[in-house]
Amino acid sequence: MVLLRGFLVLVVFFLLGEALRVLAGLPVSGGVLGMVMATFTLMLRGQVSDELAEASRGLISVLVLLITPGVVGVFFIVDQFYGHWTTVIVALIAGTLLSVLTTLWLMKKVSESSAGEKSHE
Amino acid sequence: MNNAFAELLSVWTAGPMLSIALTLAAFLVANWLFARFRRPLWMPPVLIAALLLAAVVALSGIGFEEYEQGARWLTVLLGPATVALGVPLYQQMHHIRALWKPILVTLPLAATLAAVYALGIAWLMGASPLVLSSLAPKSVTAPIAMGIAEQLGGSVSLTLGGLLITGVLASVFVDWCVRWLNIKDDRIIGFALGLNGHAIGTARAFEISPTAGAFSSLGMGLTGVFTALFLPFTFPF
Repeated sequence: MVLLRGFLVLVVFFLLGEALRVLAGLPVSGGVLGMVMATFTLMLRGQVSDELAEASRGLISVLVLLITPGVVGVFFIVDQFYGHWTTVIVALIAGTLLSVLTTLWLMKKVSESSAGEKSHE
Repeated sequence: MNNAFAELLSVWTAGPMLSIALTLAAFLVANWLFARFRRPLWMPPVLIAALLLAAVVALSGIGFEEYEQGARWLTVLLGPATVALGVPLYQQMHHIRALWKPILVTLPLAATLAAVYALGIAWLMGASPLVLSSLAPKSVTAPIAMGIAEQLGGSVSLTLGGLLITGVLASVFVDWCVRWLNIKDDRIIGFALGLNGHAIGTARAFEISPTAGAFSSLGMGLTGVFTALFLPFTFPF
């Protein structure tokens, strides 16, 4: 029962997200809008109920299960993207290396400079 | 004999139960194998499960379309599961308050670049609009990325393939770059793992330390929200 109550909250927020997407004409998925609304609601309330925490934990722990059918599809589209795979692989390898480097370098610089500010104060 | 098998298959695939059973079984076997092989960085459980399922679906004659139709009973749960990600995001909020400055400076730029670098390279190499819109959410956690790919008109399967490769690469590259840049702060390492490598990076971060894991979840959540809210408005295709 506890789990079901939490699950109902999640589904209701998903439906609200879908409603916002359609009514406001936003190009963002209903799940994401529902998540943003849920996060703001929690911030306003200042706490998470046990049933919601329980239901989220349950769903998040099986996320891999839920995305697996989509991943299976990759092996069946190999032909569909024939000739594109070199581009995909090169873009992913080089792009990921560059963005990892940029993120780490940026975080290092910013946290060093804010640590420096503190020592001046 | 062959006829009986074909008949049985058509009965089983009339409802979603066969797809559900196969997916559950593959998920459990994959987790068991993953633990047995001492958690290899380059072979996450989702890849093992997908390989097993693809083999079964192709060899048994079920066919991907049939399998996918039944599996939709599982994938509809991705909607509420995405909403569920808001709960840990809220629980990480105290980290955001403590470190809001570096996060505010880094997140928008780094999350944008995570998409732009790969898109730029793919575009220069002459990728089609379909490939570009499928790769755009490559650093975003899967449930959110699938929503973005759908909104942009990409191929969800290609997006998931790209995500998988990105997650594995990000875990390896963060390891290298951290040594090269001489970074010892677990908060920075975790944040970079989550921002670039979504759930796969986060799994890696939890192996480093709980702090790295918490910041990785935070980086993953914020990147997901930021990308989902801004990419569809800025994507020029």
